[in-house]
Amino acid sequence: MTISSGTFAFVADLVRRRSAIQLTVGKEYLVETRLLPLVRQADLAGVDEYVDTLRMRPHGAEHERVVEALTTNETSWFRDLIPFQILTGHVVPTLVAQHPARTSLRVWSAACSSGQEPYSIAMALLDAAAPLKVEVTATDISGEVLSRGRAGRYSQIEINRGLPVAMLVKYFTRAGTEWELSEQVRSKVTFIQHNLLDAPPRRGPFDIIFLRNVLIYFDLETRREVLRRVRSVLRPGGFLQLGTAEAIFGVGDGWERVAVGRGSVYRSEARGAP
Amino acid sequence: MSTLAVVDPCQVTAIATEVFAAMIDRRGGLLTSWSRGPMTVTDPLHAWVDLGTVPAGRLQVTTDAGTAGEVTRAFLMKGEAEPIADADVVDAFGEIANVLGGNVKALLPEHVGLTLPEVSRQSPSGERAVLLNEALFAWRGRPLVISLYTI
Amino acid sequence: MRALVIDDSRTMRHIVADIFAGLGFDASQSGNGREALDLLEAGESFDVACIDWNMPVMDGLEFVAAVRARREWRDLMLIMVTTEGEHGQVVRALAAGAHEYVIKPFTPDALESKLALLGLLPAQESR
Repeated sequence: MTISSGTFAFVADLVRRRSAIQLTVGKEYLVETRLLPLVRQADLAGVDEYVDTLRMRPHGAEHERVVEALTTNETSWFRDLIPFQILTGHVVPTLVAQHPARTSLRVWSAACSSGQEPYSIAMALLDAAAPLKVEVTATDISGEVLSRGRAGRYSQIEINRGLPVAMLVKYFTRAGTEWELSEQVRSKVTFIQHNLLDAPPRRGPFDIIFLRNVLIYFDLETRREVLRRVRSVLRPGGFLQLGTAEAIFGVGDGWERVAVGRGSVYRSEARGAP
Repeated sequence: MSTLAVVDPCQVTAIATEVFAAMIDRRGGLLTSWSRGPMTVTDPLHAWVDLGTVPAGRLQVTTDAGTAGEVTRAFLMKGEAEPIADADVVDAFGEIANVLGGNVKALLPEHVGLTLPEVSRQSPSGERAVLLNEALFAWRGRPLVISLYTI
Repeated sequence: MRALVIDDSRTMRHIVADIFAGLGFDASQSGNGREALDLLEAGESFDVACIDWNMPVMDGLEFVAAVRARREWRDLMLIMVTTEGEHGQVVRALAAGAHEYVIKPFTPDALESKLALLGLLPAQESR
């Protein structure tokens, strides 16, 4: 599935006008990937068709969503929601049933950005996995975003995105113009600078790994390699969660795709970390 | 006590930056600190909300009428050729004061109430208002001031 | 899906209604809690209401309490969209029966994410 050059030009122009960000030739895959969720929500067949509907309408909320989809780093809490529902509704019960005597859950949130994902995981598990001890390792290549993550403070704008209000009230307090996560949640997450092309972090083996919306930036060979390394620190029967528009096809053995409700998650087959 | 004296100027700037980026411009970078020497606002329009009582505080936004119209146009996502009515400006500019005021209010140690916004060409802040803080901005190059008072 | 946007600012109503329109909702508007309640009393039904707090005649909190007191409106999802941003205010709104809360300023995707949390948007499927 490839988008037409006219579609790409329209989107690139829209994004440039609204955000000054340049989408250069070669970023067609990014446009496609980022817009597919919007295409599905609009119940259309493809990105070309979707963009055609934008051409026919005056600039409005839908155009803004396109810009947003292509210019943010998607720093949202509980992004796409379904993976977190799968986490608490399927992954945790399965892991507990698999090893009833376990006392902890170890999670790796890779490419964690400013921390919303690992903290979302921690909050979800605090609610759903008690009394298991929760340990989340959050990694990113950028030291700057890691500092943000460690501080656990977020702006009003950031706090509105995807965070259930019940969690806001339970786990956050106001700090000046920002909101700060409680020590209870912050203590569950350790932030480490890490490049996915290097050996995996040594805080495993992990029961659950979140590797969302980062494989798209790599070529096929690198994706294979990253997935191989990720799998090497995942316990047999452990779970891997990718981005909503991502799937593992032909990039390596050892993974089983598990459909759960309207989503899916990958499970590591027998060979893996002990 | 609703004194706005506890509000740090940096906080006003942070709030204003977020409000404009998120809701008005829908992108960052168009509201910046004024760096062009003394600022004069000709044909000013003021929008304000009052906070609390004893002493009451006020957050007031001031710009020139033309800029208020352009801010309204951006806020409403209207095209350059579309007409902007005075009533649109009063509503939009008032809402901006409301959102800024609400966010400043949340910085105060105790909860206080907020009045409904008002808009006028006459500044409500006469001799008895004590100016605490004035943040000068350039919005797309045009002057815009956010002032905090004790009234 | 039908949405009711309740805010005394025409500008805010326009913006929120526009976000809903972009998501495929039919959006109606009311200028305060009393007007909105009148619509509900008249038999209009909605899936979700976005409610400002500070409004003349009847404020958002009163509206929320009034809706939650009526069994026939129990399926109406209530999202506060307001500048009231103190922790205590959010708690008050939840105690009164609001289901979700958006603090102004917000971006369109924030409101969308709250609708998703309430199960009001068609879910995305992963491949």
